[in-house]
Order: sequence, then C-alpha cells, then structure tokens
Amino acid sequence: MNGVLNLSSSPHIRDRWTTPYIMRMVVLSLLPATVVGIIVHGWQAFGIIALAIVSAVAAEWVFDKVCHKPSTIWDGSAVVTGLLLALSLGPKTPLYIPVIGSVFAIVVCKGCFGGLGKNFINPALAARCFLLISFANAMTIKPSLDAVASATPVGALKAFEQVDITKMFLGTADGVIGSSILALLIGGLLLWSLDIIHGQICFSVLIGFTLLIGLFGGEGFNPRFLLAHLCGGGVVMGAFFMATDYVTSPVSRLGQFIYGCLIGVLGGVFRLWGNTADSFSYAIIIGNVCTPLIDTYIVQKPLAYRKIGKTRRVKREPFRIPKPVIALTIIAVIAGLALSGVFFVTKDTIEEQAMLEAAAAYTSVIPGTKSLKNAEETADLLGDDGIDQGNAHINACYVGKDGDGKVLGYALSITVKGFGGNIIMALGLTPEGEVVDIAFTEISETAGLGMKAQEPEFKGQFPGKSGTLTLVKGAASADNEISAISGASVTSNAVTDAVNAGLEFFRTALKGGN
Amino acid sequence: MRNTFHGGVHPEEHKDLSREARLRQYDPQGEMVFPLQQHIGKPAKPVVQKGDEVLVGQKIAEADGFVSAHIYSSCSGKVKAIEKRRVLGGGMTECIVIDNDKQFTAVSDWTERDNETKLSTDDIVQRVQEAGIVGLGGAGFPTHVKLKPKDPETIDYVIANGAECEPYLTCNDQLMRTHAPAIVEGLELVLRLFPNAEGIICIEDNKPEAIHAMEIAASGKQRIKVRTMITKYPQGGERSLIQAVTGIDFPISKLPADVGCIVQNVGTLYAIQRAVLYHEPLFRQCFTLTGEAVMEPSNFFVRVGTSYAELLEACGGVKPGKTAVKALAGGPMMGIAMGSLDVPIQKQNNGLTLLDEDPVLAAEKQMTACLHCGRCTTVCPVGLMPQLMADAAIAGNLERYEKKLYGLECIQCGSCTVACPAKRPLMQTFKQAKAEIQEKKKREGAGQK
Repeated sequence: MNGVLNLSSSPHIRDRWTTPYIMRMVVLSLLPATVVGIIVHGWQAFGIIALAIVSAVAAEWVFDKVCHKPSTIWDGSAVVTGLLLALSLGPKTPLYIPVIGSVFAIVVCKGCFGGLGKNFINPALAARCFLLISFANAMTIKPSLDAVASATPVGALKAFEQVDITKMFLGTADGVIGSSILALLIGGLLLWSLDIIHGQICFSVLIGFTLLIGLFGGEGFNPRFLLAHLCGGGVVMGAFFMATDYVTSPVSRLGQFIYGCLIGVLGGVFRLWGNTADSFSYAIIIGNVCTPLIDTYIVQKPLAYRKIGKTRRVKREPFRIPKPVIALTIIAVIAGLALSGVFFVTKDTIEEQAMLEAAAAYTSVIPGTKSLKNAEETADLLGDDGIDQGNAHINACYVGKDGDGKVLGYALSITVKGFGGNIIMALGLTPEGEVVDIAFTEISETAGLGMKAQEPEFKGQFPGKSGTLTLVKGAASADNEISAISGASVTSNAVTDAVNAGLEFFRTALKGGN
Repeated sequence: MRNTFHGGVHPEEHKDLSREARLRQYDPQGEMVFPLQQHIGKPAKPVVQKGDEVLVGQKIAEADGFVSAHIYSSCSGKVKAIEKRRVLGGGMTECIVIDNDKQFTAVSDWTERDNETKLSTDDIVQRVQEAGIVGLGGAGFPTHVKLKPKDPETIDYVIANGAECEPYLTCNDQLMRTHAPAIVEGLELVLRLFPNAEGIICIEDNKPEAIHAMEIAASGKQRIKVRTMITKYPQGGERSLIQAVTGIDFPISKLPADVGCIVQNVGTLYAIQRAVLYHEPLFRQCFTLTGEAVMEPSNFFVRVGTSYAELLEACGGVKPGKTAVKALAGGPMMGIAMGSLDVPIQKQNNGLTLLDEDPVLAAEKQMTACLHCGRCTTVCPVGLMPQLMADAAIAGNLERYEKKLYGLECIQCGSCTVACPAKRPLMQTFKQAKAEIQEKKKREGAGQK
C-alpha cells in the first residue's frame, strides 16, 4: 500500500447531478424560445439577451469580489437569471433596461439575501416587476398581445375574438422576446421529463388558472377562449420556468400543489379583474412570498406515519408512461389544437349544432310551418352552392307549407361578411315578399357591440319591411329605414345587406319565376 | 412484476469488476486476529489462554449472555496473545491473536449430514446459537435472538435478502449462483420455526443468473417464492425490503418482527444450513474484494480473522499505475472508510472496496448552497424531507427537527447525500443532529432522576 487513505463518513459516492448541470439544462430548455425570439424579433432581441446575461454574470462576479466571497459565477445561476429576464422583456426595449434589470436581480434580489439558495423571490421576476414600475414607458410592449395581457372583463372577451392564437403559439405575434408558446412548451416539458422541475407546480399553476378563467371568464370552457388566455401574458413561461424556481417554491408535494394552485388562481383573478398587463408576474411573486409559510407548516410525514390503520398492500412497480412520451404527446396535441385554430377539432360539432340551429331558425322565421323543404322550383335557380346577391350570398331557399300544402312563406339562408367573420342568418318572407322575421344561425361579432344585432331593438326593425332598405345612424324616420347599432356599423350594414339581398332574390327569382 | 419500495437512488453499480469471479477459499499465511466484539451486544469472553493450541472450528470465546455470540477459530495454531488490537473503525478492542501454523487442522470436516426431520424447533435455534451466527448482511446482530421473537405464530414472512444493493459487492450474487440449494434449505429450516410464515427470496433484477438459480432451487417448495426487485439502493435495507414485500411502513421504534417479518441475509441462511445440518460453526463467510485500484477483483470464502492487507495481496495487490486513495470496508454506500488495512476481517464484514479516486473530495469542490430542488425528498425511502431537516439542524432548531420533521426516523442510508446536486453533506448533518438529540435526552433523563 502506498500513499495515504482518505477518511470520510459514508456514503462515499455521489450522483452525477450538480448545480451547474441543473442550470445548464434550464438554459438548454430555454434555447428554443431564445432562438425563436431572435429569429422573429431580430438583432435587437439578441442584443437584449446578450446584455442581460453578460451583466448578470458580471454583477455576480463584482458582488462576490466586493463581499470577499468565493466566486459563484460558475454555478450558472446568473446565466439563468439573465436569460429569463431577457426573455420576459419586449423586443424593442431600450438596451439599458436589461442591464439595470440584471444588476438589480443579482445584487438586490439575490446577493443581498445571501446568494444562491437564500433569495425569497425569483430574481428575474422581481427585476421585471422593478423595471415595470420604474420604467413603465420603456417597458410597454406595443400592439396586440398587450390586448390579451391587459385583460379587463370586456377586454378579455374582446381579445378572444381578435387574437390570433396560432401566431401567439408560434411566437410571431407582438410580445416579449420569449413569447413562443411552442418553444417554451418544448423546453418546459423537457425539464419536466428530466425531473428537473416538479410537475406538481407547473401543472397545478396551469390547471388553477384554466379553471378560474373557465369558471369566471364568462365564456365557459370554450377551448379557443382558454387557449387565448393560456397563450398570452407569460402564463406558460411563468408556469414552467418562473414558478418552478427551486429556491422560491415549497418542498413538499402538497405544498407545491397548494403553491401552484395559488399562483394559477391569483394569475386568473388578476387577469380577469385587475388592470395590469403583468398579472402573472405578480401572482408568482405573491406565491414566492408565501413559500416560507407553506414550508413551515406543510411538511410531509414519514411513510410510516401517513396511513391511518394498517392496510397491507404490496408495492408493485407502478405502471408509468415514460415522461418524454407524455411530454411529446402534450406538445403534439396542443400544437395541433392551436395550429388548426381549434376549428377542425370542433368542426363536426359546430356543423351539427349549426344544422340544428338552422332548422330552428328557419321554422322560427315562418310561424305555423309544418314542413320545410327545399323548394323544387328554386333549386335550379340556386344550384348546389347558392348564388351571390349583392354583398351577400344566398345559400338556400326553403318553402314553408302547412298541412294542406298551402305556401305559408319562404325561408332563405344568407351568408354575409360581418366584422368578426361570416354571419349566417335565416330570413323569413311572406308569399307576398314581406319580411316575417330574421334569425342568426352563426354570428361572432364583437360582444356588447356587433352582438347587439341579436337583440330585439335592432332585429325587431325588420318584420313587415319590404322593398330596399337603407341603414341610417340614429332613429329611423322613413318606412324603409333601419336604425344602425351605434358603434357597430359594419355589423348593421352586413345584416341590412343580407336582408336586402334576400328581398332582391325574392323579387327577381322567386316572384319573377312565379 | 418487479417489487420495489418508495424512493431510493441508483448509483453506478461497478459490479462488473467482480461479478464473474467464482467464490474461492483463501488460506491466510499471517497471524489471525479475532476481536471479541464482532456482533451487536456484549463482547464474548475468551475460553482459551495464551499458549493454548487451537484447531479450526474450535470455540475460542464464549457468548456473554443471550445477546452475544460465540467466536470460533478459523485457523490452527497457538494463541499468541489476548490483547488490545486496532480494529475496523480505528478503535482498539480486546482481541485473541493466534499464531497461524498454516496447517488448518480442523476439529471436524463437517460433511456428515444430520437428519433434519428429527430436529425440533428448539434444536434449530440452539444449533444456530452454538455456531455463533450473526447477521452477515453487515449489522452483525446475533441471529438466534432474531429467530426467537415473542410470538412466532404472528410472523407472516421470512424474507431472504439477496438484494445486494450495495454497489461493487458481488459475493452474495456468487453465493446464490453456486449454493442456491443450500440457501433454500437454510430458509426452510428457518420457516420451520414460524408455522404461518411464507418464505420470500428477494433478488435485484441485475442478477439474472442468481434469480434463475434460486428459482430452480425453490421450485416445488410450497412455502418459498422468489421475487425480483428493481435494482435500487437501499433495496437490501431491512425496512425497504419489508416495504417492497408487504407494503408495510413502520416507525423506527418498531422491529421487523412487530410487523410480522423476519429478514435474513442469504449468507446468513447459508451459515444456518451449515450449522444446523452439519454442525459447522461460523468461521468463514463470503466476501468481495474489489474496486478500480485492485489488480484482480475477487470473491472469497474468507476466514474470519484474516487481515484485510493480506487478502488484498491475495488479489494481486494494487493495480500498477493506480493509487488507492480510499479503502472501504463494505461498499461505497454503507462502508466504513479505513485508515489502515492492517485490521482483521470480522464475521459481519462482506467486502473491501479500493477506490483510485475519491468522489467525496471531488464533491466537496463542487459544493454549492442548497437549491431546495427537493431531490433528497424524492429519494428518501423513509419519506422524510432531508433539506428541511438540514435547515433545522444547521439552525440548531432540534425541536423542529425531531417533532415536526421526524428527524429521528432517518435510517441513515445516505440516499439523500448521493442524490444532492449541491453536494451537501446531509447524512453527516443528520448523524450529528441525532447524536445531539440523544445526548440531550440522556442529560434530561439524568436530571430527572
């Protein structure tokens, strides 16, 4: 034997995991979002990211020097902080902003509390909030994504119609640099597959948020509406990368679940009833602050003390679908949903629903109708695809008859382009060519404005009218005038055009043909 | 379906170094040292004196009381001294030193087999006690004590522990491959003491040959089953095995017998078979000498009292070009770091691992602050929260450590320490905290009297 034998207490081996390994994996999982951000937003985005990282690392180095502490820059946590901060900034942010933010994050939020592992709030997030408060103008992200983020109850619904979920999903919409939901999901689920982040946290955040928005958002569990909310305002970034920060999240599984739900619900509350664009950042900060409390009181008991009464169950190897498989499936499903704009997934249901509604609408516009059949004499006039008439399109014409076969009236299906897409409506006409009633089978106009077309105040103007109708602002004075909905002239015009088209079709085709 | 327990870690196995090396007998040439304390309980009392001639298999020390064990000589020769010698762990204890005459003249050749059907249950326990058998898994608890629980009727399972979850060690694997019928017979003898018990042989799935051999040996035996376990440390821990087999978790204040289980290492079962059927006392056991720094990693039937240093020489010594920086009595998870190899192998020792690099030193350089990543909580087989325990212990909040975090339930398996990415010395902290709490309780107890 040669040399001296080392002595130590057992165990004498260690796992491969190290702190820098974890940080490297976090950076790796943020890379997709970073790359997409740079491609979409260009060189300024790259500059912001580079500056944030460099200044975070430099701040850490200087702070350690000043405090006479061993340098901790190689643990990689400063890189993660800088990158996370940069990804949550807008692409047009002035370049001094990331520098100030990184220095604040490292020095004030982390260093002053004792460095890695001692901070009580997520440094990147705290720095972002600090910047939002201090440099409100420089931090404002211009157009459309903000519409989602700055959700007031009405605004949220508005957003639901205006936001292009596909764009948000891919990250090509206006927003922060790291706003590509697809890229963030890939990274986040990678971290989850590698057991680096806790599923209890990220999924309970998402579930809590979705439930709250679904229950109180006023749109129910409409997948498009929920996706629009989930894709906007840093929800995914927050759930996978901010809330899961080890240092500022609880340790026990139950604690993590409570923490996640708290953040999700608070995020939803701020989103629906608050007026800030950064609801999620504040929700996570509040979650961070609650963590020590949760860790003090929610502590898991050893297995032997958990069960009440002695139940004997043999522990078998649990059947588990490998996490990467689940992760890929989630990405595939969400990508599919978002890319098809949910339309194709729900197409059949929508069509079926539309058929039912259409049938109801057609019978409703000709009261007393017992049988509705596509008028044989008009089939050749319309063809299979219908005909264009003025600004509108006549899809079909039905003849309503009573039990004796006497013609009670005609029902026309008309499509017209409204503000929020196509409006499909049923128009009922008497055999003499007077409007009986109108009904909508498909309409997705702006809530509170265009949607008022369905209210009797506007709709009720049509029955009894004939000839060519004109739309006026304010009260209608003449017989053939229709009073427009204030603030929704596009919708009003569309509906009037459709009725005019139907009346014209009656005069030229139905009546003329007779 | 493979059975398993809650949590656990899977360190690199390193079993390939020695897994194919057949168990071989080694006859030492140097002097033999027999510590009087090779078991849990009272030290044995010498029954020989300086100058006496002894033979292999001759009793040289006698159990002092019920929780103690006889000690037999493993060589022939003259008693040189009864004196304090350095033993494993670094302390000095009373030892019987025998001048080995290298003849290995034995009192018997132990080949005549008794008719086991005539043996009563008392005979079995008595012969185990007489042979001085202790738990060969590492703990060294006298086996006859384990075989006499208050109420044998309540024992539901006798678990044969062939998990060998400790990295590097392979001697139980080899023993099961080559002596499977004897181990099963040993288990059958133990099962005779417990009329309602089922015998379960537990083997980790990284030992397919051993599983195969044991399945063949156990086929046709009504009361014995072989179960495959997931390869995971501490699968071979008594509590983990019971959890895996029965689903029962029990507090540290209770013994396996309290929940209807008796756990015996396969090596112990082999010794029981030899003792009960052939009257062979325990003077040798299976042993692995391995590690990256060893020339020829081997598995042995080693004689108790052999010096670690001599056994290493029998393996060709340290590999040329390598430096042994750490010697571990046992494997790297539970083993004791040795300062010197000139100490005797005791009954309950089952390995020597010689490492050419020290992972602990490397880890100390990589140490960062605790990230609260929760990995230790995930791997803890007891279900504790090591990071909060460490926080409490470091802050000196022993009240919280003991009452809220159940810190005394820690079985000191070291899984948390292995898993920690920040390389914190968690288990060492817990050992200290535990000792402090026990010290405090002792003082308070004394104060009340």
